[in-house]
Amino acid sequence: MLLWLLPPVAWFSVFILVPYAMLFWYSLGHTEDMRFVPGLSLANFARVFTDEPYLGVILKSARIGLMTAILSAIVAWPLAFVIAFHTRSASVKFALYLLVIVPWWASYLVKAYAWKTILGTNGILNATLQGLGFTDEPVRLFLYNEFSVVLTLTYIFTPFAVLSIYAQLERIPTSLVEAAKNLGAGGWEIFWRIVLPISVPGIIAGGIITFSLAFGDFVAPVLVGGSDSVMISNIVINLLGVAFDWPMAAAIGLVIITLGLGLISLTGWLEEKTKVRL
Amino acid sequence: MKRSEFRSDRSSASFSGTMRAALMAGAAMVALAAPAAAEGQLVLLVWEGYADDSIVKPFEEQTGCRVDPIYVGSNDEIVSKVMSGGGAADLISPSNDTAMRLVDAGVIAPVDPAKVPSMADFMPQFRNPEWLMKEGQLYGVPYGWGLIRIIADADKVPADTDSLGFLWDPAYKGQISVWDDIETLYMAARYLGFENTYDLTDEQLEAVKAKLIEMKPNIRKYWFTTGEMGTLMSGGEVVGGSSWEPTLVELWAAGKNVIDVKAKEGRGGYSDSWMIVRGAEENECVYPWLEYVSTPGAQALAHKVTGFGYPNSRMAAELDEETRATYERLGMSDSESLANIDWWQPVERRTKYLEIWNQVKAAAQ
Repeated sequence: MLLWLLPPVAWFSVFILVPYAMLFWYSLGHTEDMRFVPGLSLANFARVFTDEPYLGVILKSARIGLMTAILSAIVAWPLAFVIAFHTRSASVKFALYLLVIVPWWASYLVKAYAWKTILGTNGILNATLQGLGFTDEPVRLFLYNEFSVVLTLTYIFTPFAVLSIYAQLERIPTSLVEAAKNLGAGGWEIFWRIVLPISVPGIIAGGIITFSLAFGDFVAPVLVGGSDSVMISNIVINLLGVAFDWPMAAAIGLVIITLGLGLISLTGWLEEKTKVRL
Repeated sequence: MKRSEFRSDRSSASFSGTMRAALMAGAAMVALAAPAAAEGQLVLLVWEGYADDSIVKPFEEQTGCRVDPIYVGSNDEIVSKVMSGGGAADLISPSNDTAMRLVDAGVIAPVDPAKVPSMADFMPQFRNPEWLMKEGQLYGVPYGWGLIRIIADADKVPADTDSLGFLWDPAYKGQISVWDDIETLYMAARYLGFENTYDLTDEQLEAVKAKLIEMKPNIRKYWFTTGEMGTLMSGGEVVGGSSWEPTLVELWAAGKNVIDVKAKEGRGGYSDSWMIVRGAEENECVYPWLEYVSTPGAQALAHKVTGFGYPNSRMAAELDEETRATYERLGMSDSESLANIDWWQPVERRTKYLEIWNQVKAAAQ
């Protein structure tokens, strides 16, 4: 019996406990002339909360993460709904499912670059708008700002939302919907009172994944972000590579992990609360 | 870090190098079977491209010394490897923002210029450069170098522009792009007339920050790789900003009318140097290599691989006509045009500089 516990315990120690302990150890020290000096100081944590720009950028990253999560859910829900309820043929269902997954086989970078060529000053979107006579001058608001960052992240991470919402919707038995119909409920009422509430845990689960991925992203702000699109992961990379300030980077990492744990506990509780027994 | 971004950016040039390296490795194994003619061995801790086969092979044939390069992506890597005493490298090629730190740390041996006769042909800037001199001794042989160029679209920006001021001109709202690097901090310091670019006080850094935030409405994007700046320029996203030489060369080659602004406030310059790791001065292959890489021929080969500037004033004569024309257009063979360069130096408070730069980036427009 104990033998079965060995792999997970070993995994947990080697890949989680030890690295996090090391991260904590680094965060208590400081660097001198590019070399790490161990210490027992909480100064780096104080810096995260008091010095510009760290906390502000963490909050901005959280905002971008939240917007991505909400937009992904809005885009994903109808698609998940159609796959779950309005696709009779199993092969069509499979094809739709594949269409959601397949973009993941393309590199993240390629997809982010694609948005540059779509949204740019001489991009496809502007060429189309000008061709149709909507505008004479290219519109420069599409690219290199927070909008393009959120759009790119939403496009890239939406499949996660689709899959988790679909998994939840598929659990709804058709008999439940039929019973509602028999009792005189209309389409909207079924949607508002049965399908949507049951799908909430799926929306939350998908939301937490898309939020986390977008929050920690560092590629989209570099590729399609504008002059103030710096996110917290970009700052951590700079601290590691340019300033060689590993202790500060470790402190930021730990603050984010703590916030993340809080968030996951909260959503876990929410998921439990919104769960409908079927 | 940023240096490595820049370098990886030009990986297409080194790709064929890698391919050739793979082929050469095969050849080397065959050669091992033959009686070894090697008189010595040289370990280099260098940027990719600095030990390209096209440069190394003639040297190995001439001297019988075997060259073993270890590639690094950043100055930090050189520092940590040399300081920890690990790599056992004989020669390293750090930039001028790192060189003196290593000298101060006592891990570098001085160079005897008499044993590197080709240095006599170096442009004056590179004979006894400040970033390699300590207590009257020379601590390295300058090698690849370049300037951080200020470029502008000649159709949108007056051709006689000679100041960084146009970067702040409201006429170019949302049409400027500068490097996402603390070099941009240095640039603003130069514009503000601070002469201690690499050792700014807190008040000066605050002034620099305010100046850069003032530039933000003009910023379309902070570029990350040199290729990106080229795309921003040719795609009509921006009309000017900072760049490296490869961007200018690329834009000129594409027939774009781009001006190389010679800012009167000065331009930033990097310069790598071959430095002898303390203890390696006894290695009999060290000085032959230093002399070899200082010759016009070897530097012309190096330019072909990296596109960087090289200090030997007779190097340009070895280039083919087209490459030489571009090299001269960049002013890289003209010592006079290099008078107003604010060469990089080690920045002691890099963390502080980076924090200020991050504050600039995080600030709302």
